[in-house]
Amino acid sequence: MVKEPKKEFRKRDFFYLIPLWGLSLIVPDADDLYSYRSREFKRREIYYLGGVLVLPLIWPDPHFHHLMVLAGIYAILALGLSLFLGYAGQISLGHAAFFGIGAYTTAILTTRYSFPSFVAFWASALTAATAAFLIGKPILKLKGYFLALATLGFGEIFLVIVRETQTLTGGVIGIFGIPWFSLAGFSFDTYLKQYYLTWGVLLGLFIFSKNLVRSKLGRAFLAVAASEDAAKSVGIDVAQVKTGVFVLSAAFAGFAGSLFACTMSTANPEAFGLGFSTLIVMMVILGGMGNLYGPILGSILLTCLIDILGRYQEWSLPIYGVILILLLIFFPDGIGTRLGIRLLYLIGYWAKKKKRDEGKF
Amino acid sequence: MVAWSSIPQLFSSGITIGAIYALVALGFVTITRTSQIINFAQGEFVMLGGVITFFLLKSLNLPYPMAGVMAVMLVIMIGFLLQISVIYPLRKASVLILIMATLGASIFLSNTSALIFGTLPKALPTFSGEQPLQIWGVAVVPQSIWVLGTTFLLLVILFLLSHRTPLGKAMEATSTDPLGADLLGISRNLMVFLAFGVSAGIGACAGILITPIYFTSYNSGTLLGLKGFIAAVLGGWGKNSGAILGGFALGIIESLSVAFIPSGYKDGVAFAILLLILYFRPKGILGSPFIDSRRW
Repeated sequence: MVKEPKKEFRKRDFFYLIPLWGLSLIVPDADDLYSYRSREFKRREIYYLGGVLVLPLIWPDPHFHHLMVLAGIYAILALGLSLFLGYAGQISLGHAAFFGIGAYTTAILTTRYSFPSFVAFWASALTAATAAFLIGKPILKLKGYFLALATLGFGEIFLVIVRETQTLTGGVIGIFGIPWFSLAGFSFDTYLKQYYLTWGVLLGLFIFSKNLVRSKLGRAFLAVAASEDAAKSVGIDVAQVKTGVFVLSAAFAGFAGSLFACTMSTANPEAFGLGFSTLIVMMVILGGMGNLYGPILGSILLTCLIDILGRYQEWSLPIYGVILILLLIFFPDGIGTRLGIRLLYLIGYWAKKKKRDEGKF
Repeated sequence: MVAWSSIPQLFSSGITIGAIYALVALGFVTITRTSQIINFAQGEFVMLGGVITFFLLKSLNLPYPMAGVMAVMLVIMIGFLLQISVIYPLRKASVLILIMATLGASIFLSNTSALIFGTLPKALPTFSGEQPLQIWGVAVVPQSIWVLGTTFLLLVILFLLSHRTPLGKAMEATSTDPLGADLLGISRNLMVFLAFGVSAGIGACAGILITPIYFTSYNSGTLLGLKGFIAAVLGGWGKNSGAILGGFALGIIESLSVAFIPSGYKDGVAFAILLLILYFRPKGILGSPFIDSRRW
């Protein structure tokens, strides 16, 4: 019996390749961030930028705008954490505290001392960075579980202080009536304007991070994450690099907190607990470590997920816990990581499944 | 505003809560000794122990001892399920993923408990009487005696389990020399599985003991778990004796702090102690077999 020669390509394979080609246009390539040869901006990034600019205009739904404002704020926070977690390989469960410090600084400066929001915006980042510098020196010599626990402890201490200093922070009730963000007389008083403000800040910080991870300091982050001893042996001051990236990510969190306070117009301690820190770390993990698009993707996904789960009221948190665990089991290194290869494998599996079931392979 | 006269009273309540911290810390240590995993859902076992006993006692009208035993059994089952469904699939994952997965489990357990048993804080009846005993001029509720007695009993059982039975020796072997244990045919996964059961059982006992004194609600587990962890770090990470010492030390310090600072800051004290101990002596008071001085 003459065996039929195996064809290299079938018509069906081209059909499967079309969605892959489409994905390759929009999915970011992680290798770009490490290579020197890539240009500053690629066509792909122009697409993203255009998408971000046009999306709220083609979908004029206030709820969607509000959701995307929140996603943008979380993305700023997750971007900062991604530098600390994904690039420098350290663990922090206390970033909600820096976010809270930023929010409270803005709240106190604008409502009690009637500072302009623009000044409060920078002051928030500065306060958060100072706090990070002060606690970073002692706790960053820890590793793994103990670093996680120490940062978590810092977060809890922050909450206790906020609840107890009632004259300054309003205790458990918090601060109300924070004005909208305004710059030179222009007030960002609708969700659409907030959207452009938030994503504008995110864009600025993204370009900053993108340049940072390609600089000498950014390479030092990667070296510290790979091996501290090896990093030390090539002359990197490990303690200084770790403190630097911690302060930087806290400053990002301060910016995000300031925007959050202006958007929500309230600041109360319930929002800045361990649950929120967990959510932010999940955003970074889901997007994929060591990739700057990851945290943005992760924050959009999780913000949408929480919005959808909100409809199930008391069931939302148990379902949220289960989804977290399932995502961690099935995507431990992020949904976006090696997406192309995963999809190729999956499509190949589907394509050959029928044949394999018939025992022809 | 130091109230010296209240010190003995605070000391006695510190010992009671310290016993609970010691039990929670022992739960952490039991798991860590076999697998180097830190289970952030440990506090939820404590919460579940109290809440399930309350449910069995009030809704199903079971007698108290039977409700307690059944609650412990149920929580042990939950511990086994947690290991099978979360820890086993992630046994080769990194530290960060394990932290997040156990935190996710903690969110799931506490909110499911809120869904099934309600969000109201629950208080069990005391084991024997409400009349406080006077011991050297200090009023001690009988429940405190029960807490201390049962803690002591559990410690003895754990000691016998880990030093006098083949099972305990197998667990010990897995922690001291994983490769050697593998070569001897000891299944490491089985040991981790059993360790989760033991740890859940200890946690449930702690929950039943504490619920008559302090209210237990669906979200009280997380803080209790974290404080138990701090106790384990304070005493010496990975040592049973360290966990017990750390638990009592933390309970007494936290309780006495009320005399010196406003009581609202009480929850912050434990975390301040944690930051101090991690900075000055990460090994803990008694030293730790897992923390090598070179790495710190």
